[in-house]
Amino acid sequence: MPILDFLLPKNGKKQKVILLGSGALSIGQAGEFDYSGSQAVKALEEEGLEVIIINPNIASVQTNKGPNKKVYLYPITPFWVEKIIKIEEPAAIISSFGGQTSLNCVIALAKSGVLKKYNVKVLGTQVDALELSEDRDLFAQKMKSIGVPIAKSHAVSTVTEALETAQKIGYPVITRSAFALGGLGSGLAKNEIELKKLTQSALMMAPQVLIERSLHGWKEIEYEVMRDKTGNTITICNMENFDPMGIHTGDSIVIAPCQTINNTENNMLRDTALKIAQSVDIVGECNVQYALNPQDYGFYVIEINARLSRSSALASKATGYPIAYIAAKIVIGFDLLELKNPVTDTTSAFYEPSLDYVTLKVPRWDLSKFTGVSKNLGTQMKSVGEVMAIGRNFCEVMQKALRMVNENDNGITSNVFVDTTDDELEKELIFPTNLRIFAIYESFKRGKTLEHIYEKTNIDYWFLSHILYLSKVEKGLLDFFKENVTKQDAFTVKDIYNAFNRLSKEHLHRLKSRGFSDFQLTKIFLKACLNPEIKLSIKQVRTLSFGIRKLRKKLTIVPIVKQIDTTSSEHPTKSNYLYLTYDGIYSDVSPKKNSKSIITLGSGSYRIGSSLEFDWCSVMTSSYFKNKKYDSVIINCNPETVSTDYSASDRLYFEELSYERVLDIIDIEKPKGVIACMGGQNPNNLIVPLSQAKVNILGHSPKSVDGAEDREKFSAMLDKLGIDQPKWTSAISIAEIEKFIEKVGFPVLIRPSFVLSGTLMNVANDKASLNYYLSLTKDISRDYPVVISKFILDAKEIECDGVAKNGEVILSLVSEHIENAGVHSGDATIVFPAQKIYTHTVNVIKDIVRKIVKGLNLNGPFNIQFIARDNDVKVIECNARASRSFPFISKVSGINLSELSCKVMNNEKVKKILLDESELAHIGVKASIFSFQRLDGADPVIGVEMTSTGEVGCLGEKFNHAMILSMEATQIKKPQKGVLLSTGREKDKVKFMEVVDNVYKLGVSIYATKGTAKYLEDRGYKVNVVHWNRSPRAIDVIIDGKVDFIININKNLSVDELNHNSEIRKTAVRCGCSILTNLEKVIAYLRAYDSYGELQNIENCITL
Amino acid sequence: MVKAADDIFGKSYKKAYLKLSNGVTLIGRAIGANVITSGEMVFNTGMLGYSESMTDPSYLGQILVFSFCLIGNYGIPFPKDGNLFMSKGHESASIKTQGIIVSDIYDGCHHHDGDIDIQDWMKGQDVPGIAGIDTRYLVQMIRKSGNLWGKIVPEGAKAQSKEKFEFLKNFKDDEYVDPSKYNLMPSVSTKEILYMGKGGKTISVIDCGAKWNIMRMLMERGCNVKVLPWDTDFSKIECDGWVISNGPGDPKNTKDLVDRIRKDVLGSNKPILGICLGHQLLALASGAKTKRLNHGHRSHNQPVFSLPERKAYMSSQNHRYAVEKSSIQPNWQLWFENANDDSVEGLRHKTKPFISVQFHPEASSGPNDTSWIMDKFVKFVEEKR
Repeated sequence: MPILDFLLPKNGKKQKVILLGSGALSIGQAGEFDYSGSQAVKALEEEGLEVIIINPNIASVQTNKGPNKKVYLYPITPFWVEKIIKIEEPAAIISSFGGQTSLNCVIALAKSGVLKKYNVKVLGTQVDALELSEDRDLFAQKMKSIGVPIAKSHAVSTVTEALETAQKIGYPVITRSAFALGGLGSGLAKNEIELKKLTQSALMMAPQVLIERSLHGWKEIEYEVMRDKTGNTITICNMENFDPMGIHTGDSIVIAPCQTINNTENNMLRDTALKIAQSVDIVGECNVQYALNPQDYGFYVIEINARLSRSSALASKATGYPIAYIAAKIVIGFDLLELKNPVTDTTSAFYEPSLDYVTLKVPRWDLSKFTGVSKNLGTQMKSVGEVMAIGRNFCEVMQKALRMVNENDNGITSNVFVDTTDDELEKELIFPTNLRIFAIYESFKRGKTLEHIYEKTNIDYWFLSHILYLSKVEKGLLDFFKENVTKQDAFTVKDIYNAFNRLSKEHLHRLKSRGFSDFQLTKIFLKACLNPEIKLSIKQVRTLSFGIRKLRKKLTIVPIVKQIDTTSSEHPTKSNYLYLTYDGIYSDVSPKKNSKSIITLGSGSYRIGSSLEFDWCSVMTSSYFKNKKYDSVIINCNPETVSTDYSASDRLYFEELSYERVLDIIDIEKPKGVIACMGGQNPNNLIVPLSQAKVNILGHSPKSVDGAEDREKFSAMLDKLGIDQPKWTSAISIAEIEKFIEKVGFPVLIRPSFVLSGTLMNVANDKASLNYYLSLTKDISRDYPVVISKFILDAKEIECDGVAKNGEVILSLVSEHIENAGVHSGDATIVFPAQKIYTHTVNVIKDIVRKIVKGLNLNGPFNIQFIARDNDVKVIECNARASRSFPFISKVSGINLSELSCKVMNNEKVKKILLDESELAHIGVKASIFSFQRLDGADPVIGVEMTSTGEVGCLGEKFNHAMILSMEATQIKKPQKGVLLSTGREKDKVKFMEVVDNVYKLGVSIYATKGTAKYLEDRGYKVNVVHWNRSPRAIDVIIDGKVDFIININKNLSVDELNHNSEIRKTAVRCGCSILTNLEKVIAYLRAYDSYGELQNIENCITL
Repeated sequence: MVKAADDIFGKSYKKAYLKLSNGVTLIGRAIGANVITSGEMVFNTGMLGYSESMTDPSYLGQILVFSFCLIGNYGIPFPKDGNLFMSKGHESASIKTQGIIVSDIYDGCHHHDGDIDIQDWMKGQDVPGIAGIDTRYLVQMIRKSGNLWGKIVPEGAKAQSKEKFEFLKNFKDDEYVDPSKYNLMPSVSTKEILYMGKGGKTISVIDCGAKWNIMRMLMERGCNVKVLPWDTDFSKIECDGWVISNGPGDPKNTKDLVDRIRKDVLGSNKPILGICLGHQLLALASGAKTKRLNHGHRSHNQPVFSLPERKAYMSSQNHRYAVEKSSIQPNWQLWFENANDDSVEGLRHKTKPFISVQFHPEASSGPNDTSWIMDKFVKFVEEKR
């Protein structure tokens, strides 16, 4: 039997296995673990095991209910996992599919003896090996013992020692001053003289200096290794970073397979990876990272990850080899020879995929959302998502990926740096930000040489020369059109057609095969010919680009479809994993006749505001239509997702979610319908243009979508229906803004038009902050109006999620925010069913919902947001699409809103569902997690602009239980050392007194800033006073570890007040304290302590 | 593609046609030398190691299709002192493929161990190629047809010189070169005995078109290596062990060599290692039979496992012919099997130190997982002495 003995059914009963998830999505630990976990669940269920999932990430696919699965939405902490072990009596636990969170938890459970006590075995790589891989010293020793080079730091305390060490390890060296903050005393020394200087000054500040070999500019390369219990080992894929050492892999552009290394280098690193996996005794998956010297065959191992990772998810998607699925089979006892390659079904799983295409991952950053965070990239990961492009040459994948990640059609030809000075451009090359690739392109356009750019960036010539090539193509096209076209404006589709018809068919095909989109080509043409005074909108350019599409179709220059089959076609396969390319002539898939396909558009890259929840909606949609025997087709380009697992659909197009590409796929699939309302705002934006191109959009009509999205139209409809809304205007000048404020008064919410380097939403409290925020908005004009609305203080925010059919509500469910209005709904803590709204208010809301649904004639999923003060209800916005809260509401209510939406879109009969929300068995609390720890310099205050990266949803019999659990799952831990209070305005201080006793009952030391301290002392509470700027300082008690919990409420939203408190908050984040900055959340949380003991002692945990 | 963007405007490229024996013609851009050539169409799915493959004598008479889309990225190592043997990246002194077919070719050379770019290398050796071909489509065509021959015809090109390899003299310009019909050894085997390496034990390598890495690995293991022409009278050779090398073509085309292996090599009772064609020759000499596979195995990812341990290895392979499992002689046993198609991947004698493998323990290019077979063989030699 391939399965381990203790996993075989006992007394006819299935054995249980605990699989830990990774919790909320955060920077560095994102959607990839839903993908790996979901694959593992499938693999385990197939072998007759019952899977116990512990993961509070309610929006994940792995936390869906299943026949052989139990789901616990609990924090992944030793305490709760032990409790669940006690309840479930599992045979084993799996650590490797839930990232670092689950790995740490399993190590802790093993060390504390819990696993032994309950006789729970760890599957896969054993705990001592996990520890070895995590501990730098142990790992270094192990590597040394098997003769694998590892970059090591050497501590020295004299200049002579430093020179001797450097002599041994070779120049250049990096020096790091031990015990110094902020990189003080660090530097690069290329020779003895430089090193002498550096260490002399560094040793004056610190007793020790660390010296290590500088790997700056070395190639960064990874291998994904799979090993079974018998020792059979393969590498699934290698990957190479476009950005050399110095930028975190998560923030690097990554190509797979490696492109600039030769056979000798590849096998040297591959052999080493196998050796390491063997020596550490990996069972399952492992990732090995290397630094490779670009000048000789020297290399170092940087680290290994003895678990599934972001890279393994990427490698799975890059190769088609389902790493997590196979790894799950291995950890329960199979060896690789016993398994088949699921893509071919006939060949062995002991197999290293061969690719006949190339993939490129580009990270997505949302750094402009965080004021104060440096945009420079370094060793700390900052990106929040990623895309992957597949194609048959580097230009093609690079162009595709850059369009995918920024969701505009401009790609590399965006002209981001067109107005930048040469000096600034150089700076960008040397100190890279997320935009470096555009700076390289611009530099080439300005005539810089390959050698010059290489010298500044150390990016391999191979990569650079392709960028150079593209810049030459653009230049060539500009010249060509300038010479050949004399017209300067009033261009028509026909003009574009004619202009490109001047190129030969072969050359137009070549342009397409090098990845230029029709939109980009049109823009290049316009740049060459259009009078620069005239500016065209995106819509106008898109319309003109149809000229190229028409020409191409006439010349039969259309993209072809290729399969990803793991074997480069050596073996026949029926793979449904597909991509499009212009670099080829033969399609593996031919256009459909009598098509039964329904296309679901996925969400694209995860980003702040659109994440896992929309992938859940997409996956639900796809599987619904799959079960209904349609050909369920998914288009998405995000490698971290479950939706891009080829088993989630009947056909997966791993492709751009652009207008052009979606139309290309529609030409091939000839679908019965396209669903664009389940993947969030990104695909939703395509509804109007696609329907204009006569595509059958399922769900809401484009008119309904437009009616909800167009502010003017929506507002006019509300007025007509007599529904109240906050006063607003769209201003195109400062004068208009001032006029509006005169009428409505402060505070106001300002929302500038989004431009690439634009600023964010903000609440202006007074004239000064208004002026400040407006000064950040470069351009206020007719093209870039500012939307400004009255901001209502101390109001509750309420949401209604639901499904409508032909203008009638089928289901509507109301949830409330714990925070008052002013916190973005994506950051807010949401309670469902609502606990604190008057029945009357609920009725008013449901009535408004009915009117809006009727008014817009909605036909599908929707989400409407309200603010309410007393019984006064106003509508903020309506999303005619599935919302972020769909999985949460679905899982708490037990009614799958996505499935219901699908029924409507499939035109099935659906009855109105009347659900008494107060009858629901459990209360759910959804809370957000912020990745401020990763974003040095970010102020961890929450506001109208969304900044959270992930969320959890926990259940309780009581609100208090769910509240505590969801806070614990978002790293808000009960204070152990001390609490630092700063409770805001006078009226907030009054309100805080409701829960102050719960803080004092904790028995830890209480610190408070001056005003708060006085307020407490006046009421007889003992408190330690701290100050902003004199001893004892607030930040010192944080740094000294006297407090581990910070409550920091702003007095108001003025710029000064924010800056005032910001140092405390930033320090708290740096020191890993729990921090709460919203009064309502603080009160709800502290009040929940009333039930803390009760929750801890609970015997039965809630399952889905 | 680095040199100019002129290709967009048609200034700098010449067309080339790939005329296939099934009547299909594919059009692409001419690369390498401006000559017409033809050969048996084969594909390799390895993603790296183009220079090792192109110089591998087993590819003689074949047009090699690289299924991977980007070829030439790291140039070609070409040491100034001309000592190719010591330079990894070359498996013989010249390119052995008739021509190559690629999707995209890189015109630069920036790798620290690269000296010239691939096109210049091909030009210098009169080897043509075509870029811009849908290689995935072509691979599928080869796999489905089983037998496919092709002709590379660049615009305005002359016919290939017949002097290049001996076997080419058999072909007329208007025919497809079919290497499987002929004994190819005279074209690839050394003309005289070569001596290399230092050490106490002497290994004779029967050169049927041996990859250099076989000799390099023997030397690394302290062997004194004699490289023998294929038609040497083995009975006159003194050594401690035999390696029968890889090489091109059908093993049945060299009956005389098989007979001499049976008599003088098997008969010598010294340790023997057969590699690829050498494995087939040894099997034939033992009395087993060989067969022609549909499209063979040419890749870096052939999964093989040893028996009876069922220990699995990734192997590098390049062969069209294989030993028939049912024909394995009673004194011999199946040592390795292919995990994908169950084909014979290795044999060993039940009592004597005779071993042979269908795959390449010397790799180059491809994974080194089975280099231990070289160790095992050298150990046999040491034990026997």
